[in-house]
Amino acid sequence: MAYISVPSIWRELPEKYRLAVFKCKSCGALNFPRRRICVGCRKPSEFEEQKASGRGKVYSYTVVAAGATASEHAEEGRVGGPFPVAIVELEEGIRVMGQVTDCDPSAVKIGMNVESVFRKIYEQDGIIRYGYKFRPVEMTSGRQ
Amino acid sequence: MKRVAIVGAGCTKFGERLDAGLSELFTEAYIEALHGVDKGIDPSEIQEAFIGSMGSGGGQIANTAPLMIDYAGIPGIPATKVENACASGGYAIRSAILSILTGQCKVALVGGVEKMRDIPGERGRAWLGVGGDTEWERWHGLTFPAVFALMATRHMHEYGTTREQLAKVAVKNHKNGSKNPKAHFQNEIKLENALKAPMVAYPLSLMDCCPTSDGASAAILCEESLARRYTDTPVYIAGFGAATDRLASFSRESLTKGIATVNASSQAYKMAGIGPDDIDLAEVHDCFTIAEIVHTEDLGFCKKGEGGKFVEEGQTEIAGKVAVNPSGGLKAKGHPIGATGVGQVYEIFKQLRNEADKPSRQVPDAQIGLAHIMGGFIAAGTVHILAR
Amino acid sequence: MGVGILGYGVYIPKYRIKAEEYTRAWGYFAAPGVSEKSVPRHDEDAVTMAVEASRNAMKRAGIEPAQLNAVYMGSSSSPYGEKLVSSTIATAIGVPKDVCVSDFGASAKAGTAALLSCIDLVGSARGKYGLAVGSDCPVGRPGDDIEHALGAGAAAYIIGSESLVANFEGAHSFGAENWGGRIRRDGIRFVEDPGIARLREIEYEQSLASAAGGLMRKINLKPENFSHAVLQQPDARFPLRAARVLGLTEGQISTGLVAPGLGDTGTSSPLIGLAAVLDKARPRERLLVVSYGSGAGSDALAFGIEQGIEDSRTKAPLVDDYLMDKQYVDYLTYLRWRRVLTRDREAS
Repeated sequence: MAYISVPSIWRELPEKYRLAVFKCKSCGALNFPRRRICVGCRKPSEFEEQKASGRGKVYSYTVVAAGATASEHAEEGRVGGPFPVAIVELEEGIRVMGQVTDCDPSAVKIGMNVESVFRKIYEQDGIIRYGYKFRPVEMTSGRQ
Repeated sequence: MKRVAIVGAGCTKFGERLDAGLSELFTEAYIEALHGVDKGIDPSEIQEAFIGSMGSGGGQIANTAPLMIDYAGIPGIPATKVENACASGGYAIRSAILSILTGQCKVALVGGVEKMRDIPGERGRAWLGVGGDTEWERWHGLTFPAVFALMATRHMHEYGTTREQLAKVAVKNHKNGSKNPKAHFQNEIKLENALKAPMVAYPLSLMDCCPTSDGASAAILCEESLARRYTDTPVYIAGFGAATDRLASFSRESLTKGIATVNASSQAYKMAGIGPDDIDLAEVHDCFTIAEIVHTEDLGFCKKGEGGKFVEEGQTEIAGKVAVNPSGGLKAKGHPIGATGVGQVYEIFKQLRNEADKPSRQVPDAQIGLAHIMGGFIAAGTVHILAR
Repeated sequence: MGVGILGYGVYIPKYRIKAEEYTRAWGYFAAPGVSEKSVPRHDEDAVTMAVEASRNAMKRAGIEPAQLNAVYMGSSSSPYGEKLVSSTIATAIGVPKDVCVSDFGASAKAGTAALLSCIDLVGSARGKYGLAVGSDCPVGRPGDDIEHALGAGAAAYIIGSESLVANFEGAHSFGAENWGGRIRRDGIRFVEDPGIARLREIEYEQSLASAAGGLMRKINLKPENFSHAVLQQPDARFPLRAARVLGLTEGQISTGLVAPGLGDTGTSSPLIGLAAVLDKARPRERLLVVSYGSGAGSDALAFGIEQGIEDSRTKAPLVDDYLMDKQYVDYLTYLRWRRVLTRDREAS
């Protein structure tokens, strides 16, 4: 049964908490998540952590019905209802995936501007799994 | 070049088979394959076995292959469980072909088996997402419908594909499945009902998604020189190919093209010395309706972006330009993960020998067939071209 | 050496529930002066709000996460009874591992407790920069009057010694045994009101008066010397009464009065009010901030506004930006999101 272990989250905190992207010191390609072999030059490499701005555009999206979600997300689905998940193309040029929150699911569109936020993803075994999500950038207010 | 022949094939009814466990299902398919060899074959002639199975439900995770051949009455031979998510069966066939072509064995058994319906719904869903990138896709709450939905949204955006076109894939496959006694679903569906089905992951509804099924399949392969010993109408594997793609959906160059399909099929076409226009029928991996549309483009049956129109115009019906999923496909025939690949080959084997279960499902003048199967989000798969 | 605020930031969830929703459900709304309050979405909690506020504060402070020596979080509604969440905040903003992380809790004054600790850290030169956050979203039992006012929000402060936007000028505290205000036993989810309204008023007013009065005597100032005063806001009426007791006018507390649109935001209440004042105050004005936590205790702090305040405002959203960016939810959604309408057999 698929299970995301606590140690695996612990190893992946920069990506999951800070949306950190990793720049290959040899070829400059951005990797998300960090790997040992760069996706760009396909060679074992060293990487440096870069803070992504968190801003990007929706490249594609879906709206997951509460009953169709992975089982560990069932509780969040029951409480929060159907939720959008998008592939977001960050300003830095790399694509990542994330839920879209603070947004009417029917309002998500390809090309929509989003920014990253820190939210609760789900809870399992008494441990809250936090991570980044995206929300639409409000053009009207001063939110940056 | 030497070729591999298929001389017998068997397949259980796919569906909710609470009457049978893993080994019973496998044996059922195996017996049909065995008895289906026209001139007869002795089980002791089978020298190696390759069995596709994902181990869904956790009932039997390891050592599935020796267990199945034990119950099939042929213990002792080398046996390998092959797993590449939904493409397990396709890769099992590939492994058998390679074993025969390298001279390791002369006669091989390929098969697949899966039990998905023994466990309750929420637990079943826990198993379904396991073929995606667990830490980076499932983390966000996705299972497979959602990943393919990302492809559908993008395909609709880039090419104007509509939900109606997606639904027409389901309608066609149910129509074919209603003529297939082995199919999970025996009912036809109406387009307007398909469009009203509840959303699973927008834009894919329940009617866009294949079911979870129990089932098993089996086929007996041998080297070309032995084929006529077993039957006067063998079916040959004229070409084969295999490929992979980076796993996570956000790692893909394109969300609307399955490069694993493009690469695997181009290898198979080249080996067989033919092109897409020569294919009379194809069993294609329609885990979701959008997948069938994208695969018909990537297999070269129509241009990129025109897959929606292609099905809408009836080009993929039984009597169409290329019959796609005459068995009913994953959508109606069912998708017992490990068994699907060899199940596709069973269908094509029957069709090419003019033995489809009912006359109305028989593809007219079927000479060359193509079996296409992909694991997960088109991450690993095979294409096998079969010909008389 | 000066000590004070280098950067500040708030976070208020987007959602609001109106008093009318309560009136429709219960026939009345028991939070005087509050017309609507903030509601955390189901995927928000004291930790997520603290991270957002901290990120905003860092934008104004202009320092790197690696420069922080402490991350202190004050909340009465941390999702963990035992597990540091200040470490979650530190990791989420990229602070490397040699940092002091501490969680302050157990009352609505935990925000100023975190703030004072940062001030002590920098003032004693134990560290150069500290982050103090007050983030809270207390939960009550539906139907209990005390639940009506409970809102959600966070405010974060980066404390340093140079380039300050507000200089710390002194503090004084009050602490004495009482049970007038909110009480919640360990292991119980819902805050409760012991029920003696007059005792609650006495506890509140006595705490604020003692802390504020003591501070003014200590630094030799009178109420009229403060341009702005921010008082703990369990609703919008408590601070008005306390202002009279403290010798402050309604005009002095109005800029920092955020309860009418947010409700009782717990540990973040005086800190969001302080941010609202910092959004508008002018250099050389003086501010008074007084917190209160039941049980009982109160911290009073004085700040003097510096020149740099105006430039720092544009670097992150203002309190008004968050107040104006809102979407209403109905009572059922509110109950579901707060997880009090639940399938769980043990909801308490």
